Amino acid sequence: MIGYLGVDVGSVSTNLVVIDEETNVVSYIYRRTMGDPIHAVQNGLRELKELLPAEIVINGAGTTGSARYLSGVVVGADIVKNEITAHAVAASHVAPDVQTVLEIGGQDSKIIILREGVAVDFAMNTVCAAGTGSFLDHQAERIGIPIEEFGNYALKSQNPAQIAGRCTVFAESDMIHKQQMGYHVEDIIYGLCQSLVRNYLNNVAKGKELMSPIIFQGGVAANLGIKKAFEETLGMEIMIPKHYSVMGAIGAALLAKEKAGNKIESSFKGFSTSDIDFKTSSFHCKGCSNNCEIVKIEVDGEVLARWGGRCGKWEIEQT
Amino acid sequence: MFICVNWSYNLGVFTKVGGQMKIGVPRALLYYKYFPLWDAFFSELGAEVVLSPQTNKRILNLGTEAAENEVCLPVKVFYGHVLSLKDKVNALFVPRIVSVEGGAYTCPKFLGLPDMIRALDVDLPQIISPTFDLKLGLWEFYRSVYELGGFFTKNVFKIIMAFQKGLNKLNSFENLLHDGHLLNEALTGRFSPAPRGPLRIGVVGHPYNIFDSYVSMNLIERLQKKDIRVLTAEMVSPEIINEIVSNLQKKLFWTYEKDVVGAVFHWLDTRAVDGIIYVLSFACGPDSLIQILIEHEAKEKGFSVPIMPIVIDEHSGEAGLVTRLEAFTDMISRKAVKEKS
Repeated sequence: MIGYLGVDVGSVSTNLVVIDEETNVVSYIYRRTMGDPIHAVQNGLRELKELLPAEIVINGAGTTGSARYLSGVVVGADIVKNEITAHAVAASHVAPDVQTVLEIGGQDSKIIILREGVAVDFAMNTVCAAGTGSFLDHQAERIGIPIEEFGNYALKSQNPAQIAGRCTVFAESDMIHKQQMGYHVEDIIYGLCQSLVRNYLNNVAKGKELMSPIIFQGGVAANLGIKKAFEETLGMEIMIPKHYSVMGAIGAALLAKEKAGNKIESSFKGFSTSDIDFKTSSFHCKGCSNNCEIVKIEVDGEVLARWGGRCGKWEIEQT
Repeated sequence: MFICVNWSYNLGVFTKVGGQMKIGVPRALLYYKYFPLWDAFFSELGAEVVLSPQTNKRILNLGTEAAENEVCLPVKVFYGHVLSLKDKVNALFVPRIVSVEGGAYTCPKFLGLPDMIRALDVDLPQIISPTFDLKLGLWEFYRSVYELGGFFTKNVFKIIMAFQKGLNKLNSFENLLHDGHLLNEALTGRFSPAPRGPLRIGVVGHPYNIFDSYVSMNLIERLQKKDIRVLTAEMVSPEIINEIVSNLQKKLFWTYEKDVVGAVFHWLDTRAVDGIIYVLSFACGPDSLIQILIEHEAKEKGFSVPIMPIVIDEHSGEAGLVTRLEAFTDMISRKAVKEKS
């Protein structure tokens, strides 16, 4: 059996997917990155191998997400792509007529506008992370409700509280205030969902024409409260794909398949790469007053990759 | 015009400098517009022009530490260049450029630049800061030129000749730009072959953001490495820009923003680019308004050229820029492939 591996390492979650020749998802892993992308990928590969049929042959591997270059070295990727392209490819694959993709992840949120299967416009949140998954995570922890339950609480709300969502810090003080006033926790949670959606539409989706069909993906799509808030605000139906949480990884796998074409010559290092001891280290280059921080990745003293400089003198081509 | 200037203007008010004077020019802000003029003018009058080095981390840190919080990144960079030059020169050239054409101003920060620099809490060499305000007419303008030249010579003829030479240099520099050369190449005279790929991206924004490769994180080079042809606003002739902005509903107040609007509209009208990247500095007032104006117009006209804003400040990480650039170039190249098939 021939498969294609997609790896998406983001700030919060690390996702791995294997698709088959017919682009069906064979198995997938969704796990937390926990600030250690290399081990997250290695452990993910180990777990994924257990789920896969024994006779699988990986014919191509792709990586995406903010740690795409690092994870590309670890797995031996044939293609390394940014997360916008990966998400757009995955969305138009599962819903060929999709025109709008809403994606909310751990630390960034994006909107992708597609027409006839091609991305024609996109936007990402800028320096501010208000209204992303990390924020919801943090608030769930503070209220003492598991993040998985957040959506169910939100749906029970009868009378949502008005929460200021422009800034995470102020939203939090607003929530505390509403709690002290005696608002129901479900009303506060749904109010939070509404404010997150408002923030997203005002900042990320600002000025974009949101046309149906709309797909909502990324880890935050698990939260039905956010979906409901989107639907109420936009007055349109929002679809959530089956594998909403690993769409980036599916996109990376699809791109790897696209790149592979018919030849069988992947640079994928195999599942045993999970046992290799990758060492990362960094140093400051003293070559000029820019003092760039150079990161290098080694295995048994052999430098696999090096990056981070402005001038390119330390850069090593990835093998 | 300047033949009839009253040459008896009193030169005695200026500081006399013996020997060759070293005049420092910060490689920031309007350096990117007028350096060929300034360079030729000062050199012709016998001064040695000392240019600060390319922006680097040290210069940026010097600037951000010294500047008050409110100013935009390019002004902070300017501070850094001033501080890196201050011990190497007899005087610093920080002109107050108020207006370079009738009915329009430069950025409000340029108007106050010499005062902001003088307010720095450090020992600075003499700041030479003539006021150039073309709204007051050519007479006042040339009086300022004459005042400036007075730092070096009392010979009126020499000042006029030096300025004329500067204008010629500026002219040939601008001609190079209109011929399609990139500003940094036209400034340095080092030309490299331009990419010949099928994709064309227009990069607009203030030249001091785009062509300061430290500030823009090598934006143009990164695009060229992907074999993308880069167009900038400087390449569009002023005649075209003036024609376009004269058709706007409301007149634009700012000269340098006019170039951005004119170039973008021209590219949209002539289908000259596959995508547009607008580089803005965080906390830039004019930029924030122009961005909306451009997006609004593009939508109104129903053009399908994607426009991506990139906001830069001193905290900008390369990762964010790289991701956006990759996504943008992927998007337009996948779109082009699809349109072809």
